[in-house]
Amino acid sequence: MKKILVVEDNPMVIKSLEFKLTKDGHQVLIARDGREAMKFLKQDNFDLILTDLMLPFVTGKELISYIKKNLPNTPIIVLSTSTQENIIMDAFHMGVDDFITKPFSPNELSLRVKRFLNKV
Amino acid sequence: MNNPNASPQAGPTILLVESNTIEQENFAHIALQQRWQLVICNSGIDAIHWFNKNNRADVLVIEENSSPLNGYQTADYIKTELGLILPVLISVGTDPSLQELRTMAHAEGLIKKPFIKSSTFLPIYEILQRFSKRTPAQKDFYSLNYLRDIFEGHEESVFESLELFSTSVNTELEQLNIELQDRDFNRIREIAHSIKPSFEMLENETGRSICHLLNSEAEETEMPGLINDLQLEFASITKQLTRDFPELKIGG
Repeated sequence: MKKILVVEDNPMVIKSLEFKLTKDGHQVLIARDGREAMKFLKQDNFDLILTDLMLPFVTGKELISYIKKNLPNTPIIVLSTSTQENIIMDAFHMGVDDFITKPFSPNELSLRVKRFLNKV
Repeated sequence: MNNPNASPQAGPTILLVESNTIEQENFAHIALQQRWQLVICNSGIDAIHWFNKNNRADVLVIEENSSPLNGYQTADYIKTELGLILPVLISVGTDPSLQELRTMAHAEGLIKKPFIKSSTFLPIYEILQRFSKRTPAQKDFYSLNYLRDIFEGHEESVFESLELFSTSVNTELEQLNIELQDRDFNRIREIAHSIKPSFEMLENETGRSICHLLNSEAEETEMPGLINDLQLEFASITKQLTRDFPELKIGG
């Protein structure tokens, strides 16, 4: 069973992600802000990280920077609703692997997640 | 970014994303013959910038291997993030490299390169015909289609999500008022960003649009009015939810 960290603060999005990813057979941990995510990342190993970019306490950019420096082999999918395309481009330049827009298409989420987990 | 065929009496606006100058010229030649308004962008990012500043186009034709966002990712962004409803055709060489079912989620079809009249005109004409017949309308304040899709018909999860919508958005709207009094406009933008998906999941276009404006384009002076409008929309949604599902814990 693959372990996925979801970093997201919208409770409806969390619920839908948790439902879909669990149903797909993955173990899902939820961090509701960047600080909580950092705590999980220091304690545990993950096969994939799905993260929002606008996070309380620790920004998405800081979180991605930390992951790229300390866990360079862990793929990152950005959960985006950003209307500022530059923010997404910055994330790509920092090395994120893909982005998916919220609210996501269920099948698209499954396929994108599966694609990265197959590479692990 | 340029508009070689601008003309007041021209037909539909086609936004072409193409990095190859020869293909740009090929397409421009066809557009001129067909009286299409043509806007040419060199990349998907240029196209996104254009959509942010201009009225919508009638069709987007984008090269599959556009960089840094490819054609599929750009189509995804334009439809999902910018909320634009327009047909997208992905232009491909003889062997499309990325064509998978998932990637076609935000595109209506493919168009072959090199651009020549016989193979370029028809797909654009057909897509224009198809979309001109659509008349989207929203009579209700919400729809459960997306929630039922994501929760695969599991009604209990759908209803729990409705309760989550009611409680979490209500809390954030109260916070918006506090931030407005404190004139913390950055925080207002962050909150709007956070709750935008909640409105989208109920397919409420008004709430989504207001959140979009608050998050990105609204001037500080516009924010009080927009927040008020968002609260009214939220009240309308919860009112209808209460009426439709009296057994749920819904309350503004």
